[in-house]
Parts: sequence; structure tokens; C-alpha cells
Amino acid sequence: MLETGDQAPSFSLTRIDGEPFSLLTGEQTQSRLLVLFETDCPTCRLAIPYINRLSRELGEAGDILGISQDPEQPTRELIAEAPIEFAVAVDRDLSVTKVYDPVAVPALFLIGNDGRIIQTLSGFDKRALNEIATAMAGKALVIAEPFDGAPDTKYGCVSRHLEGDVSGEIAAAANPYLKRGARASRIELDDSVDPFDYCMQFGDPLPVIPPTVERVERMVDACPLPPDEVIALIPPNYGAATVEKIAANAVMAGSKPEMMRVLIPLVRAVCDERFNIHGVQATTHFAAPLVIVNGPIRGELGFASASNVFSNVARANSTLGRALQLILTNLGGARPGEIDMSTLGNAGKFSYCIAENEEENPWEPLHVEMGFKRDESTITLFAGESPHGVSEHMAREGRQILKAISHALATVWSYRLCAGVEAIVVLCPEHVKTLHRDGFTKQAVREFLLENTGIPLRHFEDGSGEGTQYVKLYKQATIDGEPCYLKFQDASAIKLIVAGGTAGKFSAVIGSWAAGPRGSQMVTYPIAD
Amino acid sequence: MPITLVNPLDETHRPPSTAAPRLETLAGKTIGLLDISKPGGNVFLDHLERLLKQRYGVADVVRAMKPTFTRPAPDAVIAKFVDARCDAVIEALAD
Repeated sequence: MLETGDQAPSFSLTRIDGEPFSLLTGEQTQSRLLVLFETDCPTCRLAIPYINRLSRELGEAGDILGISQDPEQPTRELIAEAPIEFAVAVDRDLSVTKVYDPVAVPALFLIGNDGRIIQTLSGFDKRALNEIATAMAGKALVIAEPFDGAPDTKYGCVSRHLEGDVSGEIAAAANPYLKRGARASRIELDDSVDPFDYCMQFGDPLPVIPPTVERVERMVDACPLPPDEVIALIPPNYGAATVEKIAANAVMAGSKPEMMRVLIPLVRAVCDERFNIHGVQATTHFAAPLVIVNGPIRGELGFASASNVFSNVARANSTLGRALQLILTNLGGARPGEIDMSTLGNAGKFSYCIAENEEENPWEPLHVEMGFKRDESTITLFAGESPHGVSEHMAREGRQILKAISHALATVWSYRLCAGVEAIVVLCPEHVKTLHRDGFTKQAVREFLLENTGIPLRHFEDGSGEGTQYVKLYKQATIDGEPCYLKFQDASAIKLIVAGGTAGKFSAVIGSWAAGPRGSQMVTYPIAD
Repeated sequence: MPITLVNPLDETHRPPSTAAPRLETLAGKTIGLLDISKPGGNVFLDHLERLLKQRYGVADVVRAMKPTFTRPAPDAVIAKFVDARCDAVIEALAD
């Protein structure tokens, strides 16, 4: 692949609109961007709207050429479908591709007015896209915002000229990055049909509010986006979650229209590749997506964070969690008994949404720890089991409280499994008060729990059973004079939040599903004002 | 009074696709075996490989494994079967 500093080889192609395009050494007057792509590459489709935005931002000053490695027909189809708003030429014999020699597409080459390559990008990378945009604009220009539902980076597909000979037809490409979907169909019910009975097919097994056109319109009107905009394609079936479909499911869940503010980023977050909702929905494990709400939105929309926080206490919590579940089953297709074959399930699959009790948290709340400002609002998703309670009313010192919690943490996933698992510790206000009085910081709590949560080696002596097969990965430590394997690999595996009422010394532990890049990672998304 | 509902279910248009043609026989064929990387997958697939060769006369068996069972198979794993020109692939797991 040509690199920064190389002279850009000259070439001539005819654009698909019939205009000639030439890149001739020494004749260039302004910087130019070449975008090599394939028509069936998901990463190319992901990148196209950002290049469109760059093209719009630069206007006349932008000189962007898309170079398709595929024949004219599929190229024309992609131009119409994506759509592609910048000029495109077809590299029929891959002659340009071979000279520029990218490993993967999309491949971007930014060429300066001296004819040298200023920057290259292979694959998708928001930071690099913004750097290219800034270099072309001559001033700071952001074309790829964080938290817009796309990952920060994504590998591309192998460039056509490096593919082996594969006979047979190319499969029709799925497009995971649709921006516009079809409007939802309408269903007419005459007087002989009870709408509540009719709508039993649309939900969890509890009755739902019938999504009448009027109710759904009120919900859509509360959102600045058009009804047919696709927010995400929801795995495992990749159904299009348009604004209108999200609104219809939110009506059914009993949400108020203002909840659309939270639902749009929530749907983006749940489809973030790091969260891996595909696996979370299809697993036989207990996990369900737990929504944690932080920031001023809690007061604005009435999210409960104090007593009964995990239960039936507030319309905002219950209907947001329920709306998410309805969206996942109705649009994503993971219905219980069909794709969702969870062995025991989880009551959280009706609704699993809490807010952090930031007022009782003497440390940083979760969203501040994740890099947001205290006065910003966020939602965080964690693929979790049901909460496991830890009662500790006798402890007079913080370390005794943490000892009690460490015993519950040891049982997460399976007692002897000490790798690939995480947990959320939900500290109640009374426990937090004691910990804070004793001088514990949030990080000190995490480190104490890491160092004190272990499984005694003698419990591994029989050498069989879940968790024993991975002992080579485990770290050893001595806890209270006893040689143990540490339950967690790192303190970051233990997430801390404060929630619950001010009476009662009951904290809780929530075990994860398979954690990390091979499973599900916790994600936090901002809620726009 | 009649009411009109907005359909809340998935109505995403998907291009129709047809299933691959079925094999008349396994004899002399190349069969891919995809292990999704659950702990017992190799036990099951080892046995299946023996059966395919001994009882059904399969000429060649190509094995591949997903890096993690929690996600769909990456293109590189599928490419292994394509490159080996498998006549059919069996995906299996065992826990």
C-alpha cells in the first residue's frame, strides 16, 4: 500500500456520469481525496455517509473521487441506494487499485497539492476521518461524531486485487447501514375486535397500550428525526428500528412521548458492536440488558434511583426497560421459545432499568467515571443476571461490608470460574456512608474487592467441573492466610454504582454474561438535551 | 369506532434467497465441520468426522472454529470452507 510521503501515481478514469477524471503529476491545484471501495463491503457502506458529509461540507472546494472495484451495474446500484453523493469512477481492470495497492477497503488516499500522499486510511476510523476532513478544510472539521451508533473503528474487507480466485456468483450483499427504512404498515380494526386482545400478539405476555396512529404520532413528534430514519438494525434478525417503529413499541410499553429522547440513544447503544446484543439475545444464559440512567434526565423524566429501584416503583424505569425489551423482541426477533432459548431466563426481560442514586454517592457517579460531565445525561448498558442481595447489618467498618460483598462476588457465573466474567456492585446508601467515613475512595473499594475475592485452591482439588479447566489463566493470591485464585483478573472488572433507599443495609451484586471483547462490554451513551 | 394501529413488528424488506441444492450422496464429497468454540464441540465433531468417513464415504473433512461462540462467524472462517471447495458444511456445538 502506498504510504504518506509517496508520490501519488497518475491515472485517468471516466467517471460514471461520463466526465473524465485525471490525476496527473504536477498539475494539481488543490488537495484530492481518493476513496477506493467495494459494493458488498459493510465497512465501505458504513463509511459512505461520512464521506458524503465531507463532500457537502467542502462544497466546490472538495475534490473527492470514489473508485469502485466492482463492475458498473452494482456500482450504480450502490450509488442510488446508499446514496453516494460524491463522484465515482469504476476501476474496471483494477489498474488503479493495483498501483495504490491497499490491503483493505475502504481505502482513502489524501493527496496534497504537491502530488504527494498526505494521509491514508484503510478500514473505518472516525479519528482518521476527522483528521482528513480537517486537512481538506484547512480548519477543524468534524464529520464523524462519537456515539452516533457507529463504532469508532472497524476493519475493512480485503481489497479485490488481493482476493483469491473464487468461482461462482457474488452473494447479494446485506446492507447493515441503511439510513432510511419503509414506513410501518397500518392495521385497521373494526368495532368487533377488542384492541387490547388484538395487541396481545405484539408484546411480552402482559397487555400493551394499542399503538394507535394518534399515539404513535405524538411519540414521533417528540423526536426531531423523521419517522422513516433507521436508528439501527437490531440483531439477531437485523430488523430496521425506524423512529416510527421505536415509537410504536414505546407506546405499547406505556412510555410518555418525552421518553423518545432516551430511546433513540438507547437503541443505538444496544446495537453498539461492543455490547454484542446478538449474543446477549441468543444465549441460553440468564443475561438481560440492564439499563443504568445517570445525570439530570433522572429528575426531568422521573426515573427512580432510591427505594425499590429494581422493582415496580416508577413509570419511567418500568416503561423504558419494557420498551427496550419490546423493541428487541418485535424488531430484533429474539422471542422467548424461538431464538431466545434462555434456560431459566431473567425477570429483567420484562423490564430492567435503574437510575443511579447520585445524591447519595460521595464519589463520582458512573457516567463521570466514563468520561462525561456531571450535568450530562447518559444511559449505560450491562448484560447482567438478576441482582444477588448482600445483607450486612452487623458490620461497623467499611472493610467488613466489603468482605461480605466479596463472598457474594465469588459466586458470580459459577464459583470456580475466575476468567472472562465481570460484575456490578450496587452499593446501598447506608453501606456507602460507612465506606466513605472510613476513607475508601471508589478505586480503593474496587481494589479491596479485587484483592479479597478469591476461591480457595483446596476447592479445586477434585480437578473437574466448570472453571477448573482454565486454572492456568488464573492469578494466585493469599487471602486471610488461605491460598486462593483471584476471582477477577483486574479491578476494572468490578463496576460500582450507588442505588437504593436510605434505610436498610442491603447491597447487591450483578453477575455479567461472557465479558470482554469476546462477549459483551459495558457501553455508555449520552442523551442529547 | 374503528381504530387504526401502527404495525410495531419487523417489516424490513429482505431479498428472497434460496437454500443451497441438497447433496444426493455424501460419498466422495468434501464436508466442512464448523465448531462454534463451545467447550465440548471437538468431542462431538471428532465423532461426526469418524462417522462421515467410515459410514458415508466422505472423501475429505475440513475443520474450522469460530474465535468465539458469542458472535457470528467472521468472513475468514467462512472463507476457509469456500477456499477448500466444501460441498456442504455442518455447524455444531456441544456444551
